[in-house]
Amino acid sequence: MIKIENLEKVYKTEEIETTALNGINLHVKEGEFVSIMGPSGCGKSTLLNVMGLLDKPESGSYKFLETELLKLNDRERSNFRKRNMGFVFQNFNLIDELTVFENIELPLIYNKIPSAERKKLVNEIIERMNIVNRSGHFPQQLSGGQQQRVAVARALVTKPKLVLADEPTGNLDSAHGNEVMELLCELNETGTTIVMVTHSSHDASFSNRIINLKDGHVISEKINKGKTEELI
Amino acid sequence: MFKLNLKIAFRNLFKNKVYAAINIGGLAIGLTAFILLLLFINHESDYDKWDPELSKIYQIREKHDFFTPDNKQYWQEAVESRIGALTREKIPQFKHVTKVDRIWGNGFSVKIANADPIMVTDFRDADSAFFKVFPYQFVQGDQLTALNEPNTMVLKKKMAVRLFGTDKVVGKEVKVVMWRNDKGRSFKITGVVQEPSTPESVDINAIMHTGDRDKDPESISNSNYCSVYGLAGNILDTTAMNKTLQRIYVDYKKSSFTQRKITYDDYYKNGKVPGLKLVPLQETHANPPFVNGWLQKIKPVIALSIFLLLVSVINFVNLATAQSVQRAKEVGVKKVLGSYRKQLVNQFLFESAIQSLLALFISIVLVELCLPSFNAHFDVTLSFWHSNQLIGIALQLIGVFVVVTLLAGLYPAVVLSNYNPVSVLKGNYERGFKGLALRNGLVVVQFIIAVTFMISIGVMHLQTSYVANKDLGFDRSKLINIQTNYEDDFANRIKKIPGVQYVATTTQVMGNTFNVPEEITYNNQVYNVNTVTVSMDALSALGVQVVSGRIFSSEYGQDTVNTVVLNQAAANLMGKNLVGKQYDIISEKEKYTFQIVGIIKDYHNEGFDKTVIPTVYKANDLGGTSNTNNLLIRFNTSNYQDIVKKIEAEWKRLYPDFPMQYVTVEDAFQKELESSRRLMQMVVLFSIISVILSLLGLFALATFLAKRKTKEIAIRKILGASDFQIINMLNRSFLILVLFANITSWPIAYILTRKWLEGFAYRIDMPFLPFLAATVLSVVVAVFTITLQARKAAISNPVDSLKYE
Ligand SMILES: Nc1ncnc2c1ncn2[C@@H]1O[C@H](COP(=O)(O)OP(=O)(O)O)[C@@H](O)[C@H]1O
Ligand SMILES: [Mg+2]
Repeated sequence: MIKIENLEKVYKTEEIETTALNGINLHVKEGEFVSIMGPSGCGKSTLLNVMGLLDKPESGSYKFLETELLKLNDRERSNFRKRNMGFVFQNFNLIDELTVFENIELPLIYNKIPSAERKKLVNEIIERMNIVNRSGHFPQQLSGGQQQRVAVARALVTKPKLVLADEPTGNLDSAHGNEVMELLCELNETGTTIVMVTHSSHDASFSNRIINLKDGHVISEKINKGKTEELI
Repeated sequence: MFKLNLKIAFRNLFKNKVYAAINIGGLAIGLTAFILLLLFINHESDYDKWDPELSKIYQIREKHDFFTPDNKQYWQEAVESRIGALTREKIPQFKHVTKVDRIWGNGFSVKIANADPIMVTDFRDADSAFFKVFPYQFVQGDQLTALNEPNTMVLKKKMAVRLFGTDKVVGKEVKVVMWRNDKGRSFKITGVVQEPSTPESVDINAIMHTGDRDKDPESISNSNYCSVYGLAGNILDTTAMNKTLQRIYVDYKKSSFTQRKITYDDYYKNGKVPGLKLVPLQETHANPPFVNGWLQKIKPVIALSIFLLLVSVINFVNLATAQSVQRAKEVGVKKVLGSYRKQLVNQFLFESAIQSLLALFISIVLVELCLPSFNAHFDVTLSFWHSNQLIGIALQLIGVFVVVTLLAGLYPAVVLSNYNPVSVLKGNYERGFKGLALRNGLVVVQFIIAVTFMISIGVMHLQTSYVANKDLGFDRSKLINIQTNYEDDFANRIKKIPGVQYVATTTQVMGNTFNVPEEITYNNQVYNVNTVTVSMDALSALGVQVVSGRIFSSEYGQDTVNTVVLNQAAANLMGKNLVGKQYDIISEKEKYTFQIVGIIKDYHNEGFDKTVIPTVYKANDLGGTSNTNNLLIRFNTSNYQDIVKKIEAEWKRLYPDFPMQYVTVEDAFQKELESSRRLMQMVVLFSIISVILSLLGLFALATFLAKRKTKEIAIRKILGASDFQIINMLNRSFLILVLFANITSWPIAYILTRKWLEGFAYRIDMPFLPFLAATVLSVVVAVFTITLQARKAAISNPVDSLKYE
C-alpha cells in the first residue's frame, strides 16, 4: 500500500543542518503492522510525520495506493489526511476545551459526516473503547490511559486506512500501555494498516515487522515470525 | 463545526474569565467613546437635512468688519438688507429670496391676553417669502399665504403648544415685547408648522412678519443687516455663482458709494476688500462665520476616541496572541485531523467576533447610560434608540464591529493558524510561536498613548489653573450684568437700593462685547484702535487698575466730551508719557481732538485665547451706544441675592411686560473658560481610561509571561534564585518597554501640548514637571503591576510546577 523511496529530510536552523532522513526506502503492505525503532534523534518521528503528510521532505517519493502524495498542495494534503489517516501521539493531544465525545467527533466533522451518523459512529467507538461513562468528561478529568484510549478512538472513528502512532505508550505505565497495544492489535486484525514508533521491544513484539533506523537510515529489518505467521 | 467552535470559544472565555473581562470590558469602553462620538458626528452632520429641497437653498455671505470680535473682515451671515433685493433681481437662478432678521438680545417677551409674560427665543422677523424658501410643513394654515399680511406670525408646533396648550391656534393673537420698554406689537397667528426631523441651522421658534423686512431703509446712507437665503431651481455651481455675485456686489457698492459721495478706494483700504458669496445652507452649520466649525472643534475629541479604541484593540490583540500558547495544541490537533488553515483563521476570527459583539452590546448599554450626562455636558440632544437615524447608526455600528473584529482578530488568527503542527505535537508549544516583537511593539504603542495622555493632563491642568487664577485686570466678583440698555430713571432707582455701589454701562464686558474700530492720529501717525463707550462709572464699577493718570469721574465735566482713557495695549502702541497728550480723529469734514487722561491695565473681556486689543475708552453721559444690552451693577457685599430681588421688584414695576434677565460676570467668565475646560475633562477621562486599560493589558500580559515561564522560574529557584531575583527578571523585560515608550512619548506630548498652548494668547511656559511625573508614575505603576503577578509565580513551590510539566 505504501511505497517510500529515497526519502530525504533536512532541518535547517541558523546554526546547523540536520539530516533527519537520509534516503529512506520503505514498503508497507495493506493490513501490516510495522514498528519503527531506533535511538533518540534518529528520525523516527520525522518519518512518521512525513508519512502523515504533516511534514514535507526535500526529495524522494511517497506513493500511497499508487498516488504520489508529495506532489499534493496543502489543501489536498489536508483532504487526503483526513480521509485516510489516523494519528495517536505519545502525549495524547486531546483538545482540552472539548469533551471526550466532542474530541472523538471532531475528525468526523472535518470529513463532513452528517450529524446523526456522527453520533452513531462516536457512540459505537466509545462503547468499544469502554469509555461510555466518560463521554461527557473533559480530558483533564481522565487518567493517562483513558486519555490515550480516547485518542485512539479519535484516530479510529473515521475508519482510516492507515494509523500512525508515535510512541503511543510512552507516557503510560505498563498496564495501561498494554491496554493500548491490545487496542491497536484488535484494530490491525480488522484490517487497518498501522505504523508505530516505539522504544519498547515489548510493544514492538505486537507487530509484524520491526524496522531499525539510525541517523536517518534504515539499518535493519526484522520479521516478527510469530505474528506474521498468524497473519498468513 | 460551528457549534463546536462556539463551544470552544465560550469554554475558553470562561476558563480565562479575568482576561476575557479585560478584553471585552476594555473593548466595550473603547467602543462606547467611539459610539458617542459617532452619534455626535451624525447629529452635527444632520443639520438641515429634513427636506430634499434644502439642498437647493443658499445662504448669502458678505465680507465686512462690523459686529466682529477683533474688527477684522469676516465672511458674515449678517449681510446688508439691500443684498436681498439685489440677488432677487440679478440672480435668475433663485426662485425665491428671503430676508430674516438677526437674533437680537436674549429673547423676547410674549404676552397672551392678560397672562404673565413668557420669555421666548428665536422669534425671528422675516419677509413674506420665508416659507416660499424654507419648505416647512404646515399643520395649520397655508404655506403660500400665511405671511402675506404684515403683523402675521407662524409658530413652530412645540412653541404653539407651549404658549397655548394646543396647535389649533390660527387666528389667535400674541403680543411680542422685544425689549423692556417696547410697547409691544400684536401678531395674528396664521399658521403652525411641523417640527422638522433634523436640527436646523436657521433656528426658529416662530417667524414674525412685521413687514419691516419687506423693505430697505429709505436713505442710502442707512443700512440694515439681516440674513439672506435664496432657493434655487436646482443645485448650483457655487464657484461660478460666486464670481457672478462678486461682480454684482462690486457694481452695487460702487453705485451706492457714488450716491453716498464716498470713493471706492477710500472705503476699501488697509487690506479691506469687498466680498459677496453664497454658501449652501447644508454647509453653513459646519462653517460658522467667526469660530471654528464643529468638525474643527471636535478634532481633538476624534483623536482621543480613536486613541482609546486603539488602546483597547491593542489590549485585545496582545492578550489574544499571548493566550494563543494555550491554543497551540488545539491548532496542531485540528491540523492533523485535516483542518484547513482557512478554517482555523475563520474560527479565530469568529472568536474575536463573539467578543467584539459582546463588547458592542455592553457599549450600547453604556452609551444609553452615558447619554444624559454626555448631552448635558456638551449641550446637545443626542439619542440612540429614539434617533431618527437609527438605521444609519446601526449600519455604522455593524461597520465598526467588522473593523474592530478584523483589527483585533486578524493578527491573532493568523498567528494561531500558522502554528506548525509538527512542533506543537512534539509538546513544544512555544516553537511555532512568533510575534513577540510585535506584541512588545504594541505594548510600547499603548504606553506611548497612555504616557502622552498623562503628560497632556498635567500641562492642561497647569494652563487651566493659570488661566483660572490669572488676574483679569478687573474684579469679576460681586458684579452682575442685567442684559438691558442703560436708562437713567431705572439706574437712579436701583442706585438707591442699599448694597448697590455702582450702576453703569459699557459696550464691552465679558460675555457681551461690541467692538467699534476707529482710526486715530497721534503725532502724525495713524493707529487703528478699538473704541469702547462707557458710562462715567463703568470703569470704576469694573474695578479696573489705573496705571497712570486717572479714570473718568463726574467731577470733570469735560469727561463726557473729549477725554479718553487708554488701555495698556493702546498705550504701548502709541508711545510713552501719554497722559495729558491729545490725539485727533480726522474725517473728511471735521477733526475731533481727544485728551488722554489716564492709562489702565489691560483687562480681559473675552477668552484667554484672544489678546486684549488696543482700546480707547470714551465716557458718555447717556450710557454708551444704545443697543449694547449691558447694565452693570456692582455690589459692595458678596451676599447680594436679596438685593437682586429688590432690583427685580423695581424692574417689574417699571417694565411689567418684560421679565428681567441677568448674568453674574463670574458666570460669564466661567463660560469663557468652558470650552477649554470641557476638552480638559475629556482628556482627563480618556486618559484615565486608557491608562487603566494599558495597565490591565500589561497585567494580563505579565500573567501570561509568568505562566509561560513557570518552568524556567521553577528551575531557577531550585538552582538557588531568590524571589527578588525572579521578580526582577520578569520586570526587566517590561520595564525596558515602558521606558522606551516614555522616551518616545515625550516629544509627541511636547508637540501636541505646545500646539494646544499656542491657542492661548495668555499661556504658561512649557512645564517640565508633567513629563517627569508621567514617566515616574508609569514606571512605578508598571513595576507594581508586574511585581504583583511575578510574585505569585516566584513564591510558588517549584516542585509543583515541575511535576505538572
Ligand atoms: N523542527 C526541527 N528543527 C530542527 N531539527 C529538528 C526538528 N525536528 C527534528 N529535528 C532533528 O531531526 C532529527 C530527528 O528528529 P526526530 O525525528 O524527532 O527523532 P526521533 O527519532 O527521536 O523521533 C533530530 O536530530 C532532531 O534534532
Ligand atoms: Mg520522536
